[in-house]
Amino acid sequence: MVEKKDFRRVDKFIWELPKETRPDMRVPARIFASAEMLDSAFRDRTVEQLINTATLPGVLKYAMAMPDFHEGYGFPIGGVAAMDVRTGVISPGGVGYDINCGVRLLASHLEKEEVAPYLRDLTNALYRACPSGVGEPGRIRISPRELDELVVEGARWALKRGQAREEDLAHTEEEGTLPGADPSKVSARARERGGDQIGSLGAGNHFLEIDVVEEIYDPQVAKVFGLRENQIVVQIHCGSRGFGHQICDDYVKSLQTAVQKYGISIPDRELVCAPIDSPEGRAYYGAMACAVNYAFVNRQVLAMGVREAFRDVLQGKVRNWDLYQVYDVAHNIAKFEEHEIDGKRVKVCVHRKGATRAFGPGRPEVPKAYRDVGQPVLVPGSMGTESYVLVGTEKAMELSFGSTCHGAGRVMSRAQALKKIWGPDLKRELEEQGLVIRAGSTKGLAEEAPAAYKNVSQVVEVVHGAGLARKVARLRPLAVIKG
Amino acid sequence: MEGHREQDPGFEELPHTADVALRVWGRDLKELFVNAARGLAWLMANPEAVRPEKEVPLDLSAPDAETLLVTWLGELIYLNERDGTVFTEFDLEEVTPTHLRGTVRGGRTDEIRHFIKAATFSGLVIRPTERGLETTVTFDV
Repeated sequence: MVEKKDFRRVDKFIWELPKETRPDMRVPARIFASAEMLDSAFRDRTVEQLINTATLPGVLKYAMAMPDFHEGYGFPIGGVAAMDVRTGVISPGGVGYDINCGVRLLASHLEKEEVAPYLRDLTNALYRACPSGVGEPGRIRISPRELDELVVEGARWALKRGQAREEDLAHTEEEGTLPGADPSKVSARARERGGDQIGSLGAGNHFLEIDVVEEIYDPQVAKVFGLRENQIVVQIHCGSRGFGHQICDDYVKSLQTAVQKYGISIPDRELVCAPIDSPEGRAYYGAMACAVNYAFVNRQVLAMGVREAFRDVLQGKVRNWDLYQVYDVAHNIAKFEEHEIDGKRVKVCVHRKGATRAFGPGRPEVPKAYRDVGQPVLVPGSMGTESYVLVGTEKAMELSFGSTCHGAGRVMSRAQALKKIWGPDLKRELEEQGLVIRAGSTKGLAEEAPAAYKNVSQVVEVVHGAGLARKVARLRPLAVIKG
Repeated sequence: MEGHREQDPGFEELPHTADVALRVWGRDLKELFVNAARGLAWLMANPEAVRPEKEVPLDLSAPDAETLLVTWLGELIYLNERDGTVFTEFDLEEVTPTHLRGTVRGGRTDEIRHFIKAATFSGLVIRPTERGLETTVTFDV
């Protein structure tokens, strides 16, 4: 049983388990956390899952957990691992079921006071424009042939269909299109599950939020991102819906035989994997990239729904109702990137499961408008609590393959939350604080109660302190829409 | 657990920080699979509120018992997402470690508890016990 004393404190916020901790570890494991936060890693299977991640073939430097870590399946949530493309593996358990779950931030030209009289109408209009909840069809209908085009072209498909603007694409990770998508590797069942869900939020922790920029920490970078104090912004948090869930499900099953074929020993069957350069590994990547592109289109179509709702409610009442896109980030993904290891540029496959890319200044992957400062990193808080906009750093490139946290991170199970929190009470409490809420079910609200999560500000203090990203702005929610 | 107080429920919910996990047991593989499916129905909805109007025949194969269990639960999750059916009755004619054949019956209900994305392999091992077989299944929600 690994204990806190087995960790070596490398830095104020970096804790390392040597690779001798378990004989099958190939590299050490690192957790980014404050001393108090590290204690919570021993309350569930986070540490065991992180050690398991450190056993995968081709893993480079360290298996890492960001400070919003908690137990997942396969990798822990908050897990980051980079694999050597020549000797390493790709694992669906290192990406998760909701492939390219992520966050999009839209910014308005409006101040809080201009929107306040219309906040309730706006929330209702957003609820109608952006379908949420289980089994709700999405905003647009597509044929099976169009689905094949959509998953290859990603956001470019949305642009063609009048569901995007050029500048939205420029301000999306990978410009909204991950290369290498191969629809022939996607099952009929995944197509069926995903066919009618484009432009829908889904259930669980996914949400749409109207926020106000409450505080600016870095005025220079905030200006580059188009953010200012008291500004109204909108966050969209969702992923690839049933399409991505089915792709993960299909490959976790089919790769069970691949590990035997390639003689890979894994400590947990959810960590199944295949060599990156193998027919099985390429098939998973091709299918996963389809789900990544599906999710980019999903958030893009929802963004157009948000614009429509703003127009319908605010046109003629405010000076400019329009919204521009600040950025869109993925937090469940595997990607090929170049990183510097021991002074050499190396091509790696970075798995980020509940972790966000946080590239610093100068990287060609960062949109031109932001390249001098680094990419925006979007870190949503739990429902009703603050969210953060951060900026990627040079230090993240050295420490974590350019990765940082993705949110608050759960500390309480859904069952515990339901026992402790009564949905209608929570809704009333949040409304008394001035928050407008539209939710499909009050039980769903209780499961996502702020008390079930770590304090996002403490998580952000760790990544800021460790240098994995820097604070730019804090957002405060005014209205929340949930499935 | 509502609806199962009188008899051995065959499953119990275990704490999991983000997802949901069930410990499931049974005298043999067939009972283990039925109890896992009953547990899934209980996670999805109030099974008491379901009128089993719809019947679906199933014939599933997998390379080993754990993969077959994930395939079986995955099938019920898929059918639930497709048309909202929660399956509560399971008439399994044959369950071997690599093959399952039988009929499931279920219906729709408004008394929904969780939306289940998938049954995972996380820590999944079917173990022999004094009473028969036991396993823990983690579901992604």
